[in-house]
Amino acid sequence: MAYCVRCGVKLSQGSHYCALCKTEVVLPKDMEENDSSPLFDQRLPEKGSKGVSKTKKGFIELVISLFVVSELSVFFSMWLSNTLNHSFIPMFSIAMATLTLITVVLSKPCYVSQASVLSLLVILYLLGLDFHNLTLSWSLLAAISVALFWVLFVFPFSSWAKSHLKYATLIVLLLLVLYLLIMNLLLARALTWFAPVGLMQLFVVLALVFLFFLWLTKRKNKKIPIADIIFGSLFVVLLSLSVFDLLLTKYQIGTYSLRWSESLFFASMIILVFLTGISVSRRLRRFFTSHNLHS
Amino acid sequence: MKIQIQNHAPEGFIALDNSALIYPPTEAIFNANTFRVSLDVRITVKKEILEQAAVDVLGRCSYARVSLHSGFFWYYLSPNPKDMVIHREGSYPSGRIVFKENNGYLFKILYSNHRIALECFHALTDGSGALAYLKLLVQRYYELSGYTSFQFPGGLKFSDRPTKQEFSDPFQHLYDRTLPSYPTISKAFHFKGQGDFDDRVKVISASIKADTIKQKAKERNLTITEYLCSVYLFTLQELQSREVPKQRKRKPIRLSVPMNLRKIFGYETMRNFTLFAVVGIEPALGKYSFEEITQEVKLQMVLAQSKKRLLSQIKRNVGGERNLAIRFAPNILKNPLFKLLSDFLGDEQYSGIISNLGYVTLPQALAEDVTRIDFHLSPGLLNKVALAVIGYLDTIVVNFTSFLNTDTELERLFCTFMVEDGIEVEIATNRETGKEDKKWRTAYDVE
Repeated sequence: MAYCVRCGVKLSQGSHYCALCKTEVVLPKDMEENDSSPLFDQRLPEKGSKGVSKTKKGFIELVISLFVVSELSVFFSMWLSNTLNHSFIPMFSIAMATLTLITVVLSKPCYVSQASVLSLLVILYLLGLDFHNLTLSWSLLAAISVALFWVLFVFPFSSWAKSHLKYATLIVLLLLVLYLLIMNLLLARALTWFAPVGLMQLFVVLALVFLFFLWLTKRKNKKIPIADIIFGSLFVVLLSLSVFDLLLTKYQIGTYSLRWSESLFFASMIILVFLTGISVSRRLRRFFTSHNLHS
Repeated sequence: MKIQIQNHAPEGFIALDNSALIYPPTEAIFNANTFRVSLDVRITVKKEILEQAAVDVLGRCSYARVSLHSGFFWYYLSPNPKDMVIHREGSYPSGRIVFKENNGYLFKILYSNHRIALECFHALTDGSGALAYLKLLVQRYYELSGYTSFQFPGGLKFSDRPTKQEFSDPFQHLYDRTLPSYPTISKAFHFKGQGDFDDRVKVISASIKADTIKQKAKERNLTITEYLCSVYLFTLQELQSREVPKQRKRKPIRLSVPMNLRKIFGYETMRNFTLFAVVGIEPALGKYSFEEITQEVKLQMVLAQSKKRLLSQIKRNVGGERNLAIRFAPNILKNPLFKLLSDFLGDEQYSGIISNLGYVTLPQALAEDVTRIDFHLSPGLLNKVALAVIGYLDTIVVNFTSFLNTDTELERLFCTFMVEDGIEVEIATNRETGKEDKKWRTAYDVE
């Protein structure tokens, strides 16, 4: 019988490799051994199965049993109170909540798949609620907004988007334009504010975001302070709102003026002055940052 | 044909013992709740004779002739009129028992050319109970095949009538509601392992000369179980230091060591009568030397065997069963809750399980015919490697059962420690170790 040169354990007769460390057994030709009888009658099957774990199974069973109990309770209570014709919304809501919980447990435990599944289920739920009188009205707007959430906050984190950054950016932009277009058509039944407000606002926001990233990335010091990110984001948000007010006033009244966003605009300007100051003057920057760095 | 269970058992409905309550609802793909004892012999095992032996054993131990059912409030056992099925041995032990394929029986008899094995679902009995069934089966097989007649020392006698105590639930007798409940403990470290895993149970079997390990344990004033527990803890400490480099973030490492309560409380039941001793170390306090671990283990094992502490554990377990909210909750709610809570109350508290079934004394007539005795546990999802120990003649067999497909680091560290300690270890496995598996090398090998 051979011994493993690495582990020092005695190996069963005829072993080609050590079962513990996979070190190859090399024997002189005249000392080669026949295989010993295996530990079990048959070889291990090529593949095993994964199945649903005990915890997942328990959770699913619990959700299903609660679903059955609550559906029955709702049904009988409404039947006894002669309001069965209003039972669609509570029963549908319980069914959708059950489906959501089970799908989330069974889907891949990562942000993109969980958020995608949840977005889809929310859309289905909204459409279902609206469809109980066999027409679709408000749910279309809500469903499209959820779809926009997916486009902005889920799709960019997918592995495809990460590996095809340019295409992904283009797709997001196109979908944003499409969203504005559909919203305009659904709300006004014609293209009204889409070009003068929607597209213009989108262009301004993109330009501001682009400038913000440029300012963050094209700097000498590669370490970006958290305060710069917060103030920069605040500036973009406040100025975008002011521009939105400006465009809306022009669209509604016909003149360029600020109606409700004057304070926001001034706040954004103060932030801009502050950010420019600390970017230009090292002394000012040091005044506002850690004293440890002064030396 | 009317099946008669014992007189004292209510006909048609047999309550599960307290330990067994948790096993049926938590049974799942990575939680088979099974174990296996097997005996290898030189003679060729014949299926027909084994079938007859199984029928006779079921006649003697009528309480094993049961199947599991789900009631409105609890799972329960009821007499099983179907015939026992004898299975050809497969490729791995302690897998999930498909009750339908087994005619509803809670234990499975398997055979190969030179092996008789008994695989058991934990709801029926514990390791000692299963070993008693296996002894009876082997004894009857030899009698029927005409080879020789013998009696295992201390085992059940075939000629005796089953006693009331054999199917009693001692936990209910020992329950004392005035005692305080045993405290629950924090989460323990769990070895994640490298690579993929699936439900195939991969075995690495380490055979050790009993004298050598006994001597090594004696040098440190330990029993064999304590010595093996110490080695296991030392191995897990090494693995944790690789997985969790920051000392402060290291969780406690604890082992669950089943204790046979039959000897402690003097009951001779054939149902579950086991509690778990929890021994462990706190690696967040610093690295333990092997000697320090042995001291901890010795002390904790003594404490765990104290009758008072055991009674307190029994109070906690039986108290839970007798709680009105649990008693009258329907099974449809209780099952999923048990599944969700079983990790929190059980597996999460331990980093591993090591079960020592003890030394099997063989009758003189059989001793020369036995080539090997094995004991295997089913691993779990949190603790993917389980250790089962059994002794016979001059050998101690330590069986590692694992769900991990390629990672054998725990087994390697455990065995190499013993080799370095001067114990010769012989390895056998059901893992593929042919030339095609060279690419098996784990991440540890690269380091």
